[in-house]
Amino acid sequence: MSREKGQTKANFLKGIFLENPLFVSILGTCPALATTKSLEAAIGMGLLFTIVLICSNVLVSALRKLIPEEIRTPAYIVIIATFVTMVKMFTNAFLPELYSTLGVFISLIVVNCIVLGRAEAYASKNTVFDSFIDGVGMGVGYTLALMLMALFREVIGSGMITVGNIFTFIPKSSLPILKCVSAEGDVIYDYSISLFQTPAGAFIVFGLILATIAFIQNRKKELASYRDRQEKIRKAQEAKEAALKAAQTNNVEGGNK
Amino acid sequence: MEQFIAFLLAILSSMLIDNVVLSRFYGICPFLGVSRKTKSSLGMGIAVVFVIMLATLICWPLYHFVLVPAGIPFMDTVVYILVIASLVQLVGLFIKKYSPSLYKSLGIYLPLITTNCAVLGVAQGNTDQGYTFLQAIANGLGTSIGFLLIIVTFSCIRTRLDSANTPKAFKGLPIALITAAIMAIALMGLQGLFSGLAL
Amino acid sequence: MSQTGYLILAISIIAALLITFIVSFVLYRRTPVPKGCENIKINEENCSACQNKECQFHVSRNEEDK
Repeated sequence: MSREKGQTKANFLKGIFLENPLFVSILGTCPALATTKSLEAAIGMGLLFTIVLICSNVLVSALRKLIPEEIRTPAYIVIIATFVTMVKMFTNAFLPELYSTLGVFISLIVVNCIVLGRAEAYASKNTVFDSFIDGVGMGVGYTLALMLMALFREVIGSGMITVGNIFTFIPKSSLPILKCVSAEGDVIYDYSISLFQTPAGAFIVFGLILATIAFIQNRKKELASYRDRQEKIRKAQEAKEAALKAAQTNNVEGGNK
Repeated sequence: MEQFIAFLLAILSSMLIDNVVLSRFYGICPFLGVSRKTKSSLGMGIAVVFVIMLATLICWPLYHFVLVPAGIPFMDTVVYILVIASLVQLVGLFIKKYSPSLYKSLGIYLPLITTNCAVLGVAQGNTDQGYTFLQAIANGLGTSIGFLLIIVTFSCIRTRLDSANTPKAFKGLPIALITAAIMAIALMGLQGLFSGLAL
Repeated sequence: MSQTGYLILAISIIAALLITFIVSFVLYRRTPVPKGCENIKINEENCSACQNKECQFHVSRNEEDK
């Protein structure tokens, strides 16, 4: 039982770190660049994406024995498109601000490589529960990745984090970080770089995050290979010493004879 | 005449100012994936132009003359993705059967187009923003030619980037993204070019 | 035409699209690859776009390796 629990946990966590869909597999880049202008939009996008991913994963794995091998991809596309339409209608009805902010990108979840890829690579081979956990992990991983990008872009680009524009049930408020505006509307200080709110800023932030990840991975690899070399040298030395010792004892024994 | 000029300007503005890849962010995956070699990116770009134009010509009438009168405009996404996917498969089938030479140059890129957001993005945007049929065609043409232009230009830059001396952590994708950012800044300079003209 | 008529038309079009998609998908997979195209891949290694022979992707470099 405990082992199963550990497996479930690993299944969940792999979507967040080891197989993060955005930063490791580089999938679903279009919404990641387009909807990360503000933290709220990124959270909304991640939320909708997670809902679609979980639903499609569960349905695909529930139907995995019913769908013939040959028409798998068409069936998956239809399933995903149906869920996206449902999510779109719900968003339009309950969160109209989110609907108008994300615009076409809600529909574009249909062609998001992550959803189709997960359906084909994971949900079509595993049980409903495993697929559900996989969907939750991947969805949360993607949402966190979007939030990280949006955090950089909103803080540097606009100088403050604003909430309440899209999720209107939260009272509108903003947290000044790089830019401070007094109650009368006078700018007290402003160190924001508005480039980061433009499309170019999205590319820069994404590129820098990927470079940081590559840097950390390179460091890890170098460290591992360095340790490997040290280990090899130590072993070679030990072997040499052992051989020397053996030769000496042989010599001594030979001398005794 | 005036209409013709407006048509041309609409094509130009959706090609350069609202460039698909660099300002609307459609089709980033093929932009980063296929654009290592100029020949591949040219093949991909031409295939995308073809599919986007066909999809625009089919999806717009389908929405306005069938889905709206039937009272089910919310089914648009499902219909569009079905149209695009069948189009891609039919064109692929035709090429595979009757034209080996075309298959040689375009065949391998066709299956990738179904999941290219540019195609669905154009079809969906045309109806979401309430374009007329002429505007929809202009949007389709401009978007797809803009995609072709950017992906080919980017592949030329990238072949040189591969041999450039970049820091180890930036090798590959990160430096490509930074390059794309610089290209986006260049295109930002064109913003407001047509704003004085009534479109 | 009444709205019901349009609805029936829309549903039949969607069904037709679905059938077209599935049939063409299956046919596409069953059609053999034409002669001479069996080994085409999106080849990133052999590049002849530029004249820089130091580039690790350049064609001449890869031919030497073979």
